[in-house]
Amino acid sequence: MNVHNPMFVTIIAALTLVVPMLALAAPAIAAETPDFATATASIDLHFNGIATPTGAIMVGLYNSETGYATGKPLRSFMIAATTAAVTQMLTGLVPGRYAIKAFHDVDGDGQMAVNPFGMPVEPFAFSNDAPANMGPATWAAAAFDVAAGTTAHTITIK
Amino acid sequence: MTITLSRRDLISAAAVAGASLICPDGLMAATDRQPWTLGVADVEGDIAPQALARLHGRLPCGLAGTLYRNGPAKFRRSGTAVGHWFDGDGLMRAFTLKADGSATLTARFADTPKRRQEARLGRIVVPGFGTPAGADVIITGADDANAANTSVIMAGGELLALWEAGSPMRMDPQTLATRGFKTFRPDLAQMPFLAHPRIEPDGRIWNLALSGGSALVWRLAADGTLQAAQGIKLPRASYLHDFTATARHLVIVLQPWIADKQRLPFIDSMTWQPEKGTQVLVIDKADLTKQRIYELPTFAFFHLGDAWEERDGTIRFDGCIEADPTFARVSAAELVKGVHQPAPMPILSMIALFSDGRASLTPSGVAAEFPRSDARRAGLARRATVHVGNYRADRPFAQAVAVWDWQTGKDDAHVFGADHLVEEFLLVPRPGGSGERDGWLLGTTVNLAARATELHVFDAGRVAAGPLCSWRADVALPVGFHGCFAGA
Repeated sequence: MNVHNPMFVTIIAALTLVVPMLALAAPAIAAETPDFATATASIDLHFNGIATPTGAIMVGLYNSETGYATGKPLRSFMIAATTAAVTQMLTGLVPGRYAIKAFHDVDGDGQMAVNPFGMPVEPFAFSNDAPANMGPATWAAAAFDVAAGTTAHTITIK
Repeated sequence: MTITLSRRDLISAAAVAGASLICPDGLMAATDRQPWTLGVADVEGDIAPQALARLHGRLPCGLAGTLYRNGPAKFRRSGTAVGHWFDGDGLMRAFTLKADGSATLTARFADTPKRRQEARLGRIVVPGFGTPAGADVIITGADDANAANTSVIMAGGELLALWEAGSPMRMDPQTLATRGFKTFRPDLAQMPFLAHPRIEPDGRIWNLALSGGSALVWRLAADGTLQAAQGIKLPRASYLHDFTATARHLVIVLQPWIADKQRLPFIDSMTWQPEKGTQVLVIDKADLTKQRIYELPTFAFFHLGDAWEERDGTIRFDGCIEADPTFARVSAAELVKGVHQPAPMPILSMIALFSDGRASLTPSGVAAEFPRSDARRAGLARRATVHVGNYRADRPFAQAVAVWDWQTGKDDAHVFGADHLVEEFLLVPRPGGSGERDGWLLGTTVNLAARATELHVFDAGRVAAGPLCSWRADVALPVGFHGCFAGA
């Protein structure tokens, strides 16, 4: 059994969310069944607070608590982190509750860098800027409403 | 290095922590407060630079510089309290001795995320060594719980306030302003850095990062830059506050107080397993894969002295050895409540690891803590160990400072008496001198009668003669942990 000092490993739980997103390194669309009649919503997604303008922001978009908890995003994609703030328009979404997990792949290796004890050392964030408190932000804290039309959402990545 | 993590376990630990609430009986009863509780009283803010009043004597010629000392100094906030002496906010104190014979004191809290969060909420909420997580606490990484309260070193012109489960905190050596956590390399951010690095005579720094049975060996140049960071596996997940080193080997003592579950506070993750004995892991500094394990009788400990190696390969070092970890588990938690709970005395003892694989433990019979020795002899043969001691049955904390001589078996002690809580003393060599005790002992006490912190200098060769010079502040700072001296 591996035993670790909880004082410095509790944050590791955040990885259980972020790491599965790495499958998204190829900007493939997950099992999303487009329904053009109902997909009337868009998210105008902004990331700011990018301290180092290199690599990419790796993003997972979730439309259910289960998908969020199990690391199965509705969509996953990357945004080149060329400036302190970057944006991406997400179109063709069904109105509803969504949440986002993201990390800044500063070194561009497609992975969330961790220190030798497994703690994240690249910036990460959740929608609503929900805090990762001794583990990942909860769905309840990170989820936000997306209505028909365009919803702006800004995440500070740090 | 590859470390397999059980993330499910970690999430469970986080859930347990979230469910815990601060225990209201962590408060010190305002009534029946014993005089010694001044040693665990709260300091409400930074201490502006002040001249110290000279009580007697004269500053010895050649002794000029700053004694930096670190220790917890804020334990309680409006009805809540930390659950352990080790969890108070770190207050960095600078006692400066000037060539003109005057002395000053400045003290500032490390401006940590922990201190900021608790100040904002007005409650103690951050989990620690013996403090459960409080409601609404936000912990996004190890350094959110970092109290920066245990020791201090100077490296590369930076004053580093050390804790043991997170990064060093950088502070300004002149103003004591907090500059932020030290990251030695981006991929090593938030890695633990024990509060007891071993420093070779040329300034090279060795230290450990610990996570259960996994460790990382830090090697820094004298200027504080990273030379190497290499992972090793430990045979057991012992609680490890301190290790030691010879010129050629790292010596890691593994007491049978072992982390065997995921719990917060940290102390609840460990079980005392005396039947397992104490192990010593010896590692070749030049090749960390070259390791050897020795077996010793069961003991608990916090602090070891510098080690050395003899021609036939025998490794020797001393340590302050306890029969069991009652002090850490019970007494040090009770201190914050103003309760004195007696525990087995720490006894200065010599450990020898022989080249044929045998090991021995020889008690001196002297109660001792905070062992220090001549930094110029770190890793080399020596006979003198500076320590505090002469503990009383009716209260915690030492009332004497002494130098134990392993060759003569004599303790050269000065007993300050019941009115003083004696803190760690350092051995400061006399510039140009070379003898092991050719220098001074420099340290502090809390004078309970005067309700003030005092600074004292002794001739290291004549401790029993009493202090050469003493100064007094106009404030009593709580009993601290460890310090370092930076010569002017």
